[in-house]
Amino acid sequence: MCGIAGIVYKDKKLHNIGSDMTDMLDALQHRGPDSAGYAIYGGNNLKKGEYILKIQVKHQERLLNQVQDAINIITPIKSDEILPSIGDSYVYKCKIELEDFKDLKPLISSVDAIDDVIVLSGTHSFDMIKDVGSVLDIASRYDVRNVKGTHAIGHTRFSTESNVDRYHAHPFQTYIIQDISVVHNGQITNYWNVRDPLERKGHVFETFNDTECLVHYIADKLNTGYSLEEALKQSVEDMDGPFSYIIATPQGIGIAKDKLGLRPGVMAETDDIFAIASEETSLSKVIDTKNIEQIYPGEVRVFEI
Amino acid sequence: MSKKIIEIDASSLTPRELNANLKKLAKTYDKIIVKNPNSMHYLVAGFVGESEIEIDGSAGYFAGTMIDHVNLNIKGNAGWFVGDNMTNGQIIVDGSVGDGAGQGIYGGTLVVHKSAGARTGEIMKNGTIIIGGNSGFMTGIFMMGGRMIILGDIGEDAAESIIRGVIYVKGEVNSLGKNAKLEKINDNDLKELKETLSKYNFDLSNEEYNDFKKIVPESKRPFYGK
Repeated sequence: MCGIAGIVYKDKKLHNIGSDMTDMLDALQHRGPDSAGYAIYGGNNLKKGEYILKIQVKHQERLLNQVQDAINIITPIKSDEILPSIGDSYVYKCKIELEDFKDLKPLISSVDAIDDVIVLSGTHSFDMIKDVGSVLDIASRYDVRNVKGTHAIGHTRFSTESNVDRYHAHPFQTYIIQDISVVHNGQITNYWNVRDPLERKGHVFETFNDTECLVHYIADKLNTGYSLEEALKQSVEDMDGPFSYIIATPQGIGIAKDKLGLRPGVMAETDDIFAIASEETSLSKVIDTKNIEQIYPGEVRVFEI
Repeated sequence: MSKKIIEIDASSLTPRELNANLKKLAKTYDKIIVKNPNSMHYLVAGFVGESEIEIDGSAGYFAGTMIDHVNLNIKGNAGWFVGDNMTNGQIIVDGSVGDGAGQGIYGGTLVVHKSAGARTGEIMKNGTIIIGGNSGFMTGIFMMGGRMIILGDIGEDAAESIIRGVIYVKGEVNSLGKNAKLEKINDNDLKELKETLSKYNFDLSNEEYNDFKKIVPESKRPFYGK
């Protein structure tokens, strides 16, 4: 099933959006108990060229030193911390600086090459928070209610084929273009037909998850001059299967829904807020839902600030 | 004698607990008002009896599924499949509804004052569905009887594979599905429309009534011959 949600504050100012998204996702908890996640934009306050890496490291002697060495060879770690985590691994967070965004993916690949280590995110203008468990547990574990931002997307996961773990929780991102993320409810049934041409163009896939494929597809379109709205509209033509998904970029969010309308999506808008969710109960946490609108089959909605 | 009315707070109840409470309260009270519904799924599911129930807010999926003889008023919106498989009674939704409204109804009346999502009235067998605004993609798919009245526009592939029944449309018909054809309304249709819509407080001028056309099946046996 899965639940998806997105919210944009139109004034471009920082709001308590971590708290808003936590309430929206908690209302969608029944749609997915396996894991949950957030991409919260606008509140990172990083200088140009700075990035935050979040890396899952297995509890193992000297493994963190290996990770730090792999990063320090390329660029010195400016600051770091270990986030409170559960299970047999923990999340290591560090700040780095790179001359060029194109250097980010090779650095991530060199860290991913270490056994029992996987990079969860590498971000400049958004904070990626995701883990297994319930929304409220994750929100408390990572202090999400105190994360501020201009816009955000979120997800509650009911897994179908891929593993239930921290890495496979949504959102997913790609490093083809900077700071794009996706949350997804559904299945892309022509997955290989979409993935194959992207791989031929040089996209590197880390998983066999169709949501990863979606974010690569949209990033590729944006990279070749499509607007977000045009990219989403083209995806409705090119993707088969039941889906509704939300893409976030530093400029805003957009939703696309399959042509048969087999996954839900509703939206509401005021002078202050634009919000999307799988169900009205989620919207009602942040906006007056007297005038909600259905996202119709094959429809695309975008709001950019 | 005045009506015996009671309010019930849904905020700390599961759908199962709330529906069980509704059945108990209906033995003593004429009208039950559900406060803080918070778009809960399965509200009033399987309720049988001539009770009046008001949802003071929005409902989630399958509101009023399989009800019989209930008079249900949803003051906000409803999610997917409101009124699914109802057999009698009426559901009035003051706001809008999601996909599959009135799916497979056997009887009764579903009135939505604003717009509806896709596949409204799919496989409905009898009864009446009124949509005050637009109704989406494949409205009336596999419709097997009953009538729908759409006051706004109807989405693409309207009445796809309709077998029996009629869909009256006041707004635009974008495209028809297989076995569906568009006809002008006749005097009997007009009389029926006026009676039905005025009963549910839709106030239309004579000119507006002239905008109606109807979608009906081209053949009663489109797949298996005579």
